[in-house]
Amino acid sequence: MSASVAGLLGIVALFALLILRVPVAFAMFVVGFLGIWALNGLNAATSLLASEAFTLASSPELVVIPLFILMGNVASHTGMSRQLFDAAYAVIGSIRGGLASATVIGCGGFAALSGSSVASALTMGKVALAEMERFKYDDRLSTGVVAAGGTLGILIPPSTGFVIYAILTEQSIGRLFLAGVLPGILLLSLFVLAVSVLCMLRPDFGPAGPSTTFGEKLRALSGAGPIVGVIFLTIGGMYGGLFSPVEAAAVGAGAVIVIGAVTRKLKLSMLWSAAKDSVVTTATVMLILIAAHMINPFLALSHMTELVGEFFVSLELGATGSLLVILAIYIVLGCFLEGFAMLVLTLPIFFPIVLELGIDPIWFGVLVVLALEMGLISPPVGLNVFIVKSVAPGVSLGRIFTGVILFWVMMLVTLAILVAFPQISLFLPNTMIN
Amino acid sequence: QELKFANFTPPFHTVNASVIEKLNADLSAATGGSLTVRGYHGGELGAGPVEQYVRAVQGVADITWGLPGYTSQQFQKTMIVELPGVVPEGKSGADALCDAMDEISGEFPGTVPVALWTSEPNIMIMKDKVVRTPEDLAGLKIRVAGATAGKVAEALGATPVQMPINQVYNALQTGLIDGVFTGSSTLNDFKLDEVADAFTIGAPLGRLAFFAVMGQNAYNGLSDDAKAAFDANSGCALGNNAETAWNATGEEGVARARQDGKNTFVDLTPEQAQAFADAVSGVVAEYVASVGGEAALAAMQE
Amino acid sequence: MIGLSAAIGSTALILIVVVILVDVVGRAFGNPLYGGQDITTMAAVILVFAPMALCDRMGGHISVDLFERYFPDGMNRAIDISVAAIGAVIFATLAWATWASAKLSVMLNLSTNLLYLPKAYFQWATIAFMLLAALGLALRAVELATTGRDVRTEIKR
Ligand code: NA
Ligand code: NA
Repeated sequence: MSASVAGLLGIVALFALLILRVPVAFAMFVVGFLGIWALNGLNAATSLLASEAFTLASSPELVVIPLFILMGNVASHTGMSRQLFDAAYAVIGSIRGGLASATVIGCGGFAALSGSSVASALTMGKVALAEMERFKYDDRLSTGVVAAGGTLGILIPPSTGFVIYAILTEQSIGRLFLAGVLPGILLLSLFVLAVSVLCMLRPDFGPAGPSTTFGEKLRALSGAGPIVGVIFLTIGGMYGGLFSPVEAAAVGAGAVIVIGAVTRKLKLSMLWSAAKDSVVTTATVMLILIAAHMINPFLALSHMTELVGEFFVSLELGATGSLLVILAIYIVLGCFLEGFAMLVLTLPIFFPIVLELGIDPIWFGVLVVLALEMGLISPPVGLNVFIVKSVAPGVSLGRIFTGVILFWVMMLVTLAILVAFPQISLFLPNTMIN
Repeated sequence: QELKFANFTPPFHTVNASVIEKLNADLSAATGGSLTVRGYHGGELGAGPVEQYVRAVQGVADITWGLPGYTSQQFQKTMIVELPGVVPEGKSGADALCDAMDEISGEFPGTVPVALWTSEPNIMIMKDKVVRTPEDLAGLKIRVAGATAGKVAEALGATPVQMPINQVYNALQTGLIDGVFTGSSTLNDFKLDEVADAFTIGAPLGRLAFFAVMGQNAYNGLSDDAKAAFDANSGCALGNNAETAWNATGEEGVARARQDGKNTFVDLTPEQAQAFADAVSGVVAEYVASVGGEAALAAMQE
Repeated sequence: MIGLSAAIGSTALILIVVVILVDVVGRAFGNPLYGGQDITTMAAVILVFAPMALCDRMGGHISVDLFERYFPDGMNRAIDISVAAIGAVIFATLAWATWASAKLSVMLNLSTNLLYLPKAYFQWATIAFMLLAALGLALRAVELATTGRDVRTEIKR
């Protein structure tokens, strides 16, 4: 059996296991482990299992995941996220779908703080999902908006997606960060537009609330003061050089705990249950990430991606044709690969082709990151959908995947616009960095 | 037979041409193409530098490369080569490590060393702070790689800060740290040239060490001919080849940064450098004594 | 046992928050916490694996439930039992693999870089957590097969 046949079998087996309701992490463990065993021996498989598990669990970057979950949990336990959404509701609740739009904007704001889509979806999920439920929003809209909005985390800087792309392709991190800003705003606006149109056609998805007086608005806004203060403290401190993005997560969590303690809304038992809830969610998420890292070496050993690359070169398409085909491949691969694993596997093959065709590498980076975002919410392996599921256990995965369709389409529209108008991506980097 | 060489850096990284591709070309030529080397780049066979040694021992890959500094307790004597002023002027770090092989080989259990080498000497890569004397470093926050580098920074009056190298870009940009002491090849590898604007060259700050190792089982599995070809084409010469390439990458980075008008360059005179050397002199002796490395140090400096 | 293990995870999380805050504040005054990163990364290892057993009992492992309603009841039951059994095997394998890796850590004297916290200690701790998770899953498989009891439906989220 040739290596690439094994790779193909592995992917088919992964799909089959997922359809048979084998938990996502378990399915990836089984396929990755057996695949590496077949291609590189049992020793290699067990060794990788142990080393990937320990390396990822002890990764200084991934510590943000439990920290942001804790921040979101404490904020919701102490009623701070409730106050935030009361304020949003008082201001724009009378508009249909207003809270969903506010959540999208919140996701955009959080993306300016966090470089990770997973952390964005987790935190916003903890804060926003229960609140939208309280105001009778349809759970497909509320979960879909968080899963899709969370992906903004890697388009709006800072972004681990751009950092990995930059290091793999020798591009400037600064230019890539700048290049993500306008596309991020464009995508965010299209999300808001989609929410508004949906709720105009189907008012039951995001029912309008009663209109409020100016006094009520002001009272609600002042109630949200503490949590807004925390958000400004963390973002400000990070850009002001007081702490790193990872540390910002701990500062945010620490700040909500302190505020909760000072206002006597946070009891010790509450903190304890928030912490327990946070570590259980972390276990869910980290197990999926570790398992995804078992698939990566398996596919590398199978040389599958090289095969795809060679086939691609044999097609001899022009620049635009090649770009479209590459993006289509990313969208398809994104259905079953973890995003960063996908970059590591594919960029060494596609990037030289891209350079040869004279495609701007910064522009290409933005398109690739947007394609990664689509992968994060597309079935069957949609990491952000799993994340939202982990914070909304009562909603079936099927309903969440239904909820993200609309936003996935908006991403496709954004991708088309960015392909048609490269200047949207390139304007900021070209004007702000000589 | 095809040997798997795991590489946690991207395919264009210096290590690829100077070690992986070179080993492949030499082994192919020596064996008439029956023994080749294939690189798996960007952490395809397992991410990050920390676990690379373990992966060679356990056979995830046949050959891996990494930095002793990430697991410095394993490489107590090997790490002496990283200290300021240890490698004599005119001698390569690869030769220093080769000469000390009898003393340090015990730190490589379960593997066969393929090549050992060091980087170009560390420089100061700073933002908004120009350093000419040790006093200029007082209280500045400096990112360091490990315990001994931390001691060096402390001896110079700076505050050592621990953080992963891929967070340094952001930390320099926001002013979280004032600078980093590391090899000039990082200017390119981690894009530090985009955010740093002041460079001090010539202070004895030590250097980074590197290893490439082959798992003992993989080595034992080679045929006698393949072993002979492997022995002839690995070791000191390959280490020196890597070091030359590293130096070239570092010099390229420095040359490019010099052309950038926003940058300030301080090339210390021997007298100015002496002030730094005096400040860090105690660190070397203390470390060598703490690991019983007198013989290794003497061999490196012979 | 499972509750205790999750409590250890929660403690690790609180420890991380405290250590990072002390480090950040100390650094602002020129005195960062020596080896702060060593503590947070090793605490993170505990944090990730300690709650694994509880995570499973709370039904925390996410699966694609799109097709559940199209499968006959008997098949869904068979799937539930097999999944629990597979999970037990996965965690047992993880524990076994980590055991082998820990032996190597001892041989190579591996530790964190500033505080020299031995890596093997943390690997042994994770082995205990992994075995606990494996036991929990095995127990669930047996319960499902013999009495049909599904502990995941009983524990309040
Ligand atoms: Na972001
Ligand atoms: Na996907």
